[in-house]
Amino acid sequence: MTTAVHPYIDALLTGTRELPGTPYAWLNERRGAALERANALSVPTTRDEEWRFTDLAPLTRLQLRGAAGAATVGAEAIRPYVMPEAGARLVFVDGIFAPALSITGADSDNARVAPLAEALKSHAGALEPHLARLAGFEKNVFVALNTAHLRDAAVVIVRENTACGKPVHVLHLSTQPGTASYPRCIVVLESGAACTVVEEYQAISPDAYFTNSVTEVAVAPNARLHHVKLQAENGRAFHIATCAVSIARDASYTTQAISLGARLSRYDLNVALNGEGAFSQIDGLALISERQLADTHTLIDHAFPNGRSVQLHKTIVGGAAHAVFNGKIFVRPGAQLTDSSQQSRNLLLSDKATVDTKPQLEIFADDVKCAHGATVGQLDADQLFYLRSRGLPEQAARNLLTYAFGASVIERIPVKSMVQRLERVVMAQTGAEA
Amino acid sequence: MSSVLDQLVNKPYEHGFRTDIETESAPKGLSEDTIRMISGKKNEPEWLLEFRLKAYRHWLTMEEPHWPNVKYPKIDFQDIIYFSAPKPKKKLSMDEVDPELLRTFEKLGVPMNERAALAGVAVDVIFDSVSVATTYKEKLAKVGIIFCSISEAVRDHPELIKKYLGSVVPPGDNYYAALNSAVFTDGSFVFIPKGVKCPMELSTYFRINTEESGQFERTLIVAEERATVSYLEGCTAPKFDTNQLHAAVVELVALDNADIKYSTVQNWYAGDENGLGGIFNFVTKRGLCQGANSKISWTQVETGSAITWKYPSCVLLGDNSIGEFYSVALTNHMQQADTGTKMIHLGKNTRSTIISKGISAGRSNNSYRGLVKIGAKAAGARNYSQCDSMLIGQKCSANTFPYIQVNNPTATVEHEATTSKIGEDQLFYFRQRGIGAEEAVSMIINGFCKEVFQQLPMEFAVEATKLLGLKLEGSVG
Repeated sequence: MTTAVHPYIDALLTGTRELPGTPYAWLNERRGAALERANALSVPTTRDEEWRFTDLAPLTRLQLRGAAGAATVGAEAIRPYVMPEAGARLVFVDGIFAPALSITGADSDNARVAPLAEALKSHAGALEPHLARLAGFEKNVFVALNTAHLRDAAVVIVRENTACGKPVHVLHLSTQPGTASYPRCIVVLESGAACTVVEEYQAISPDAYFTNSVTEVAVAPNARLHHVKLQAENGRAFHIATCAVSIARDASYTTQAISLGARLSRYDLNVALNGEGAFSQIDGLALISERQLADTHTLIDHAFPNGRSVQLHKTIVGGAAHAVFNGKIFVRPGAQLTDSSQQSRNLLLSDKATVDTKPQLEIFADDVKCAHGATVGQLDADQLFYLRSRGLPEQAARNLLTYAFGASVIERIPVKSMVQRLERVVMAQTGAEA
Repeated sequence: MSSVLDQLVNKPYEHGFRTDIETESAPKGLSEDTIRMISGKKNEPEWLLEFRLKAYRHWLTMEEPHWPNVKYPKIDFQDIIYFSAPKPKKKLSMDEVDPELLRTFEKLGVPMNERAALAGVAVDVIFDSVSVATTYKEKLAKVGIIFCSISEAVRDHPELIKKYLGSVVPPGDNYYAALNSAVFTDGSFVFIPKGVKCPMELSTYFRINTEESGQFERTLIVAEERATVSYLEGCTAPKFDTNQLHAAVVELVALDNADIKYSTVQNWYAGDENGLGGIFNFVTKRGLCQGANSKISWTQVETGSAITWKYPSCVLLGDNSIGEFYSVALTNHMQQADTGTKMIHLGKNTRSTIISKGISAGRSNNSYRGLVKIGAKAAGARNYSQCDSMLIGQKCSANTFPYIQVNNPTATVEHEATTSKIGEDQLFYFRQRGIGAEEAVSMIINGFCKEVFQQLPMEFAVEATKLLGLKLEGSVG
């Protein structure tokens, strides 16, 4: 057995080499290839342009091991996160499927919501073109690590021309300190299908751990997916996630990615508009304080004509926290009549808070409309004055304005209970900042 | 219509000719001996030789940067002539300047005597690295302004050079700045003493003449307290097939309440349609707003060079200081440009404005790369950036890489960028009113660049408008 070039990765790969094979040759093959890449790749440093502002040294100092079997978690542990609207729920504890906490039955006519092992039995054909293929592991060591560990995954498949009326909730819980977990999620929408998927990360353990997740999304022609990602890891955790999306002709992908937790979080969202007339709306909100770091890298790849993308990324940065945003928009040769806009809005709440933002356009077609903008600032003095002149105490006025800044993203989430839950979190956090 | 565009785009380089003047060149190659020779030829003091050698030794330890979004064959630094000078004559009054040389400038549209007199412009002409003629020196000297070549300044004002040379761009700043510091041959020096407002626009023409001689200009402008100066730089180069390296360094220093305006029109040979030949323009330009309330303003119109790679920057150290950057970068055929600016806010209430217009046509590649950095102590800092791109044709590309780094919550930073093309509708509108496609394109482009052209001194604005017209007529189709 080969060993990885980087001792840290080598340690993380312990056990993967002996992972039992699956009955699917293609899956074993991809897992093997990912293992090979993980062996060859190194942990990125701040000398890599893509990781310039995010230093992974604290992560590499962490002693990690794989989750030692499924921890027993009672139903009361997930109660605060239960979404009454959800039609199906898949719960993973430290990356391992927890059937007792999950509900997979509902909506079975239109959609298949199941853990990977079960979904493969009936839908291997639907998964094969996408699983471990959309999220490239050639250059990304974390995707390679996740894919090498691929065993369990949340699978959502929505059948042709059907709508999955109720949202699907995928909940990842971290319970054991010092573990590295590899949550995986794959969403396949057949042509003309529609669905809402909520991907959520929560922790029970107060200690440090590492979540390395990969999500793959395939949206077939005319299908519509609404994808919400909520990252609320504990304040000592490391969260590195990649989401790869492929949108076909006239299909649409809308997402809200909310980052609240983790000492260090990184989200790579790669959206490829792989058909004419594809549409994507990408919203992000990072609300961080103390010594947190939240890094979001997005890549919107316009490969076909008539594509449209709208992006709004907001950060609220308090304490000595550090927000990073890198938004790349690619317009390939021939992707004429592309219409793309991108906004990065950053609110700094304290002296030690920092923001590094880089909205980036690379355009290779001439008949396109592309615009991007970035602002960094504090609360508007006139707005504060207005509220105070109406009798609000200064602190209340500040909280209200900060909350309003974040609410514009939160309100776009289509699940009411989640919006309410997030509103409470944002209010509490902006209040605590005072 | 597209043929009109083609014509416009493919207009041959007007300034492609070559003057035959006897030149005294050093052999090819770079070593400590070359540097000692350059220093010796110029009768430089010991400390300057030390400065050069230190830079050279540092350069040897550095690696060529690869991060810019440009591609070019590896440069052989041993295949370059580092020094060439027109043979010295005893007297150098205007009348005695080599007539061949004067004719060159005539062709370029710089009739020195007349233009200088009529336009009130003092021209310090640099011809292949050595300043051969300087006008209006006396008039400037009367108010205490020093405007001369760097070599003269080293001889006559060593204390100023010693104090300011390398103070903004240290010798080890980057690969090409280090190279320049080691081998720079000549350039301009401007010193405006306390409280003096320079009575005229200062300008210098750079021109690369001897084949395979890289030019390593060094410009240093110092404005003391309450001083004001506007400096113009224009460039053209003859047509050659081998690539020529140009690695200049420009340093500006503004003390309390001083105001420096630096304008450039660059139209060096860009290579032919297939990307053969052309100048590599790798320049380090940086201004230091050292004093409170000081201001540095860069304006550039970049239309030439096979590769343009430069970021005129402002370090806003003094409280309330102001940095500005106005740029038009046009690329056509196989040209590549990676240009932009850096605004480093260190002092309180510092302000900066960035207006960048990129136009790409043909198979060219045009990138804006900028950094706005707000330091932790830069309370109340303010930045506004706008970078617009226009694409003409389907084979070119336009990229934007703005880096925004904010470490102070009271700062306000805004960045906007858009991309557009010349629409059929716009052209139709013009033609419907009897204006030909060619002229319409020129007018649309000039409208697109208006905010930048407004910043240029009058005579440059005229030149720049014409230049863009020439370079871009007929590129819509």
